[in-house]
Amino acid sequence: MAERLLTRFSFFERILHWVVGVTFVLLLATGLAFAYPALFWLTALLGGGPSARVLHPWVGVLFTAGMAAMIVVWFRDMFLSDSDRRWLRAVRAYATRDSANVPPAGKYNAGQKMFFWVQGALAVVFVASGVALWFPAAFGASFLQWMRLAHYLATLGGGLFLIVHVYLGTVAYPGTARAMIDGTVTERWARHHHPRWHEEQTRP
Amino acid sequence: MADSLTIRRVSASPDAFIPISALRSGGPTYAKLVDIGACIGCKGCEVACKEWNDLGVEPTANFGSYQSHRDLSPKTWLLMRFNEVEVDGNLNWLIKKDACLHCEDPGCLFSCPAPGAIVQYTNGIVDFNQESCIGCQYCVTGCPFDIPRFDASTRKVSKCNMCVDRVEAGLEPACVKTCPTNAISWGSKHDMLALADQKVETLQSRGYANAAVYNPAGVGGTHMMYVVPHGDRLADYSLPSDPTASPAPMTGLMFMKRLGAWMMGFGVLGALVHFLRYGPERLDEHGDHRDHGDGPAREAPSARLGGHDGHGDGPARQAPSA
Ligand code: SF4
Ligand code: SF4
Repeated sequence: MAERLLTRFSFFERILHWVVGVTFVLLLATGLAFAYPALFWLTALLGGGPSARVLHPWVGVLFTAGMAAMIVVWFRDMFLSDSDRRWLRAVRAYATRDSANVPPAGKYNAGQKMFFWVQGALAVVFVASGVALWFPAAFGASFLQWMRLAHYLATLGGGLFLIVHVYLGTVAYPGTARAMIDGTVTERWARHHHPRWHEEQTRP
Repeated sequence: MADSLTIRRVSASPDAFIPISALRSGGPTYAKLVDIGACIGCKGCEVACKEWNDLGVEPTANFGSYQSHRDLSPKTWLLMRFNEVEVDGNLNWLIKKDACLHCEDPGCLFSCPAPGAIVQYTNGIVDFNQESCIGCQYCVTGCPFDIPRFDASTRKVSKCNMCVDRVEAGLEPACVKTCPTNAISWGSKHDMLALADQKVETLQSRGYANAAVYNPAGVGGTHMMYVVPHGDRLADYSLPSDPTASPAPMTGLMFMKRLGAWMMGFGVLGALVHFLRYGPERLDEHGDHRDHGDGPAREAPSARLGGHDGHGDGPARQAPSA
């Protein structure tokens, strides 16, 4: 018997996710190329050094638009509840697959919600410092140096989060990534990872 | 390649930050000495710079100053700034020959992310290599003297290159050659420092008690130095009193980049180790871990909901949360 599937993300949500995802990876790759001479060859992704410098901010505009839409669409779903706070305290159990001690999550678990808020905050730092670095003539040298530092720190945070996000979403939890591909998950997956959401979805 | 064009530092490369002490390997380092007190403000040097470097004309307009242009530009690498300052009740021109100082520790080079876009030769000249420049303008941000200028049409920066092509051929820079009062001298850094001391002494004996050499330590000294008659009024010459090649945010950035590389490396490694320890998650048909199947069951909603499995009436239904 084929397992029943639950719809987790709408077409629109998936488009948003991939706009943000693809632009972020491009930005990260070219950003790291600007930060680390050893990775300078990554500028080839956007056509080489000079063109990467021209396109990086424009890709950033796309990223910002996607991120802004994402924040609007998911904002209400992402508030932390009391049970989310319990989940956060039990994050160690989550990380060690001790599922008996992980408080049941709703549509998003507290980790996902934190990911959302932190990426949202980092996006604000990216945009604010990025605009300054895009139009350096309008700003003073010392301010721009601080903006370079801020832009890098946001890159570092975003890069670390991306590692965790991709790892958990793919190899660590099989059956997760499809939620962002065809938009569905299996009931079994939902029951285990998001029991309260599963319950809502399957209640008659 | 002539000796004078041996490369010492290259931007965005492991060679960018070699400590100066490791570089004092002999060989001549050149310096230009500008004796501001001997400058008559003829601007011959500006013209010679334009001619030799083929920079082209930029129309000028009277803006109430004896100065030719308002600012440096991609086509104007040298500008005599006519600072009008009252000294002891008299109007003075505290002239500054505004151009690249060719810092021993060049903030522009340290800031540049493009390998090879900025090089420093062992002779002390700092040169921009437009072919490798990506137009990010970080060098403008990194220069404590506000020298490099960005050309929006070519998306490249440029600045005085100390007539590196002349120097390589054994000639002095064009501005030195043309100066009618010998206000600009050219020679080894060592000789120019000695000459500067002489000039300061002369000035002091003539009543300029604060005469001084401008060769700021914060950038490791420069390869264009000034003798300023009023050493106590650097700001009036538009000379920063304490320029530095590594201001706090840039030092912080360098440190964080190093730390960040380790953190991201360990991030990837950590994910790998976690995967080796816990592997891909495997669930049984109820959504429980296979290896925890008999654990003190999470209040398995699966049990309660089992009966609904047959509905199959589409998953999209939204139910108010419990
Ligand atoms: S004066 Fe500015 S442009 Fe010239 S070498 Fe120093 S930091 Fe670079
Ligand atoms: S504008 Fe060019 S020379 Fe200046 S820092 Fe950027 S790549 Fe280097």
